Amino acid sequence: MGEVITITSGKGGVGKSTTTANVATSLAKLGKKVVAVDFDIGLRNLDMILGLENRIVYDVVDVMEGRCNLAQAIIKDKRLDNLHFLPASQTKDKSILDKNKVEKLINELKKEFDYILIDSPAGIESGFEHSIYLADRALIVTTPEISAVRDADRVIGIIDAKSKKAKEGKEVLKHIIINRIKPELVEKGEMLSVEDILHILALPLIGIVPDDEEIIKSTNLGEPIALDEKSMVGEAFRRIARRILGEEVEFLDLKSKKGIFDKLKGLFK
Amino acid sequence: MSFLDFFKKKKSKDIAKDRLMMMLAYERATTKIENLDEMKKDLIDVVRKYVKVKDVEIKTSSNQEIETLEVEIILDK
Repeated sequence: MGEVITITSGKGGVGKSTTTANVATSLAKLGKKVVAVDFDIGLRNLDMILGLENRIVYDVVDVMEGRCNLAQAIIKDKRLDNLHFLPASQTKDKSILDKNKVEKLINELKKEFDYILIDSPAGIESGFEHSIYLADRALIVTTPEISAVRDADRVIGIIDAKSKKAKEGKEVLKHIIINRIKPELVEKGEMLSVEDILHILALPLIGIVPDDEEIIKSTNLGEPIALDEKSMVGEAFRRIARRILGEEVEFLDLKSKKGIFDKLKGLFK
Repeated sequence: MSFLDFFKKKKSKDIAKDRLMMMLAYERATTKIENLDEMKKDLIDVVRKYVKVKDVEIKTSSNQEIETLEVEIILDK
């Protein structure tokens, strides 16, 4: 049976979809059969980040409503054999998801895949609740900004209340991903540090992703940066995937600009 | 001395952290306990039987290991 991992944040725009795309890509690269599911009904996003927008025929709501079968809706990536994608519906009716239908879909996916990654919508309304309901694990993405950390804290506070696993007395694993950290600002004391954020949120860390302009290019091209072996950001995501598999991996030692450059040179010589 | 001068020595991230912790202490309390106002009223009623109470403040804080509920009873002078 596959593991369900929900990527969530509370606040929008902190990099949930980018994280979902890259962690999915990295897990697939490690030989795991992965499906990334976009649960942001009405606002499709993940398709473009994965570069699969032109191949969509059916979506997640079509499957749940029985307009097609699961195999017809799942898109298989051409770059990585193990990577699959199930797109969000663009219907305006956000209330279209139904708990029982969501459960049936996820249970079917669990039979087929090692990992089911759910890209949750921003906010804490019904879309979020559906995306967290069957999660075995939650990855909470935040940036080092007060508004993002505050919303992350609120989401953490309600995950257990909305989770089936927690209701059954089992534990939903929760991990923090700190995205877009700028080492030079942290060094100057002008940005919350990794330690500050972990102190506030009091959950284990599973990834630190540096802020880098190269991510914009990768989004423009529809090529997840985790595919780029030379990229530091890509490496950050690949390490998250290894940690999900239970491997103990060192965190990237992020120093200010010059430091990153030196580190990069050191890593890929 | 203006308000800003008071913080001059502090880095902006320290101020951010302080503001966050203050905010979250309050928000955590309100999300964890559904009928917080009712509980506050009950507490005041009980304590009032013995001393004069002005207000009750409730805070919760949590980390992975323990969760605590901090009740501050402000007495009427």
